[in-house]
Amino acid sequence: MSISCMHFSCQLLLLLSFHRHVNTNLSVSENSTFITEPPVETPEPKTPPLAPLTPTQTAQRSVVLTGENHTEKIEVVNPVILNLECVWPGNSKSLPNITGYWTKDGQTIETSYSNIPLENDRYRLIKEFTIMNEEDLGIYSYLFGPKAKVEFILAAPHLGEVRDKPIVSYVGDSVVMLCKMDEKKPQPISWNWYIQNGTNKVQIESDANAHKYKITNEGKKTKLLVYNLTESDSGVYYCGAVYGVATSMGHMQLRVITYYEPLKPFIGILAEVVVLVAVILLYEKTGSRKHGQSGTEENTDQTNNLSHRDNDVAEGHSSTRQRKV
Amino acid sequence: MPPPATSNLGYTPPDGGWGWVIVFSAFISIGFSYAFPKSLTVFFKEIQEYFSVSYSEIAWVSSVMLATMYAAGPISSVLVNRYGSRPVVMVGGLLVGLGMVSASFGTTIVHLYLCVGVIGGFGLAFNLQPSLTIIGTYFHAKRPLANGLAMTGSPVVLFTLAPLNQFLFDSFGWRGSFLILGGITLNCCVAGSLMRPVKKTVESTPKEEALEFNGPEEAAPEVSTESQSCVQRFIDISLFKHRGFLIYLVGNIILFFGFFAPVVFLAPYAKHQGIDEYSAAFLLSIFALSDMFVRPATGFAGNTKWVRPKIQYFFAFAVSYNGVCHLLCPLLPGYAGLVVYAVFFGLAFGMLSALLFETLMDLVGAKRFSTAVGLCTIIECGPVLLGPPISGALVDAFGDYKYMYYTCGVFMLVPGIFFFIMHYFNYKKLDEEKHKAAVEMRTAEDTVHLNIGQKDKSEDEVEK
Repeated sequence: MSISCMHFSCQLLLLLSFHRHVNTNLSVSENSTFITEPPVETPEPKTPPLAPLTPTQTAQRSVVLTGENHTEKIEVVNPVILNLECVWPGNSKSLPNITGYWTKDGQTIETSYSNIPLENDRYRLIKEFTIMNEEDLGIYSYLFGPKAKVEFILAAPHLGEVRDKPIVSYVGDSVVMLCKMDEKKPQPISWNWYIQNGTNKVQIESDANAHKYKITNEGKKTKLLVYNLTESDSGVYYCGAVYGVATSMGHMQLRVITYYEPLKPFIGILAEVVVLVAVILLYEKTGSRKHGQSGTEENTDQTNNLSHRDNDVAEGHSSTRQRKV
Repeated sequence: MPPPATSNLGYTPPDGGWGWVIVFSAFISIGFSYAFPKSLTVFFKEIQEYFSVSYSEIAWVSSVMLATMYAAGPISSVLVNRYGSRPVVMVGGLLVGLGMVSASFGTTIVHLYLCVGVIGGFGLAFNLQPSLTIIGTYFHAKRPLANGLAMTGSPVVLFTLAPLNQFLFDSFGWRGSFLILGGITLNCCVAGSLMRPVKKTVESTPKEEALEFNGPEEAAPEVSTESQSCVQRFIDISLFKHRGFLIYLVGNIILFFGFFAPVVFLAPYAKHQGIDEYSAAFLLSIFALSDMFVRPATGFAGNTKWVRPKIQYFFAFAVSYNGVCHLLCPLLPGYAGLVVYAVFFGLAFGMLSALLFETLMDLVGAKRFSTAVGLCTIIECGPVLLGPPISGALVDAFGDYKYMYYTCGVFMLVPGIFFFIMHYFNYKKLDEEKHKAAVEMRTAEDTVHLNIGQKDKSEDEVEK
């Protein structure tokens, strides 16, 4: 397994009970496991239902602490009932009882305070969480008193590399913006694109504005084509990968500029080239004219001098075998 | 101490003075010729999305540019023979500039193939050949050094263009970048304007000394252009009867199959081994740095009195060293091993590049060099283009990079050994020819002296 497990040994006890009688795939990678839906025969609803519905999966994750801290990343794709178990091995100096509590995103969950007895040389606690939608995702931490902490980071699958620098395009031109999910991550149900309007995210409807926007979804990739760009199209765009539990967002910035912007440095460089070429050629012409003026009378002398000088140079470099005749 | 400045050029080259300015301008021209196609890869991802094409279709832009640059070699040679280096380089610079500017308005991928690939390729060809040729006219004694320095242009310009291209892309997108790059390549015109035709001062030392130290250039007087037919003057088919040229050509055809592929696959190989993208890119920088420093050093070494006479062996050593490097690469473990490989490969690549054209000049002489290099590049066009895809196919077929490295190693080692053997025989034959010519000259001189002596005697008798 990976190097980090040398520091923290992870024992995963997974208890899976299902509403439907199908098999699931379980893949375990370095720090996170994701719970995936099996291939579905019936079509899924387009938007995740808002009414509380009986979750179809239950899962359990356990962590045995070997140090003072441990962080576990859990990728959640669909609504799930998650049992989180924390185990802290004690030693001879351990107290018979300690108080522990849960926090979510830094806020203490008041009802979670409990006393944990020392049993079989360890403290053990398990709690059930219902993860239904985006608000239920976040960082859940369990603290064993002030000393030990286990962190579970629950999140929807993150997008792959998204360009952090602005995408530059030109007025009248078109642009393609790309968002993609890593190969190893599960495929989203669908993709949505949003544009920033003030503080809101407005969804882009490609059907309504077919001449302006075109959204192409190909499984784990999505492309937004914007035609006939104008300067007002500049701004922040969001792509959202829709999963059962939440939508994973990525953002990118579009900058629309006119052709005058690159034209200015281009003209500058052009001017520099013209000036340099003119200077070099003129310098050579005046140089040769000077030579020509003074050299017409002494032309033969000049060439003789040159050849003599070259000879001396040659002599200086030559081996002793050189004989002057 | 470098050998004497006499050559069979018919004049004494300056070996300095304005020659160093020529080296600088050749540095820029050669730098753009080799580095420009490689540096365009920064834009490919975005252009690929924009035109909705596959990566291999976009990579063709670079390949077409490189292919045209090599294939247009003979045309470039003809123009240089006719008009000299300066106008050709200036036209070349204009062509590349024009190509890039029109590409920035491109609407289809074919538009890019034509503007960047074909027009740009022609422009670069018109930069490469004349720069190499003009060094041969300005230098003889210090020519290896001049060549080494000029060839350093390639890694230096690549090193500069790579981050510059990234910056331009972030600020202006690909269209604006192409426009500005068109302007930047116009600086080749500036380089061209510096290439003054050399002042041909008449050689005043006698012919005999010309025979003493010419390197392996054939001691027999060069074929005079007047006696050649029109076609021969342009293409010079007689080069194919030139022993040295043939050796060079055959060896080069084989070695170019394995020359560029390891560079192309260095970063992917590193990533395949699990190294992250930035460290993999850093490997290329290490490679470029060691390449950059070894080229002038090789030029300098090639100029020394121990190496210059047998510079072909030095070249053969460089080729073989490349081969050994690639054969050992798969055995080096981890990132540290790859760094070591990058350093040594950079040294090998630089050494070979610095000597590549110097050895050709050495073999055929500066007069026929222009035509020779044109012929060489058009024939090498094939291996240069086929090398990386064949290596890529090997990687895909075996799923492992080591077979590709072994193949490239063999492709370089075999020509290296071939060069050693063939040049041993070539040097021997050249020495024999030189002795024969020297003997003939001496007998001719003796007869002349005899005749003069007799004439004097008869004149004396007449006077008496």
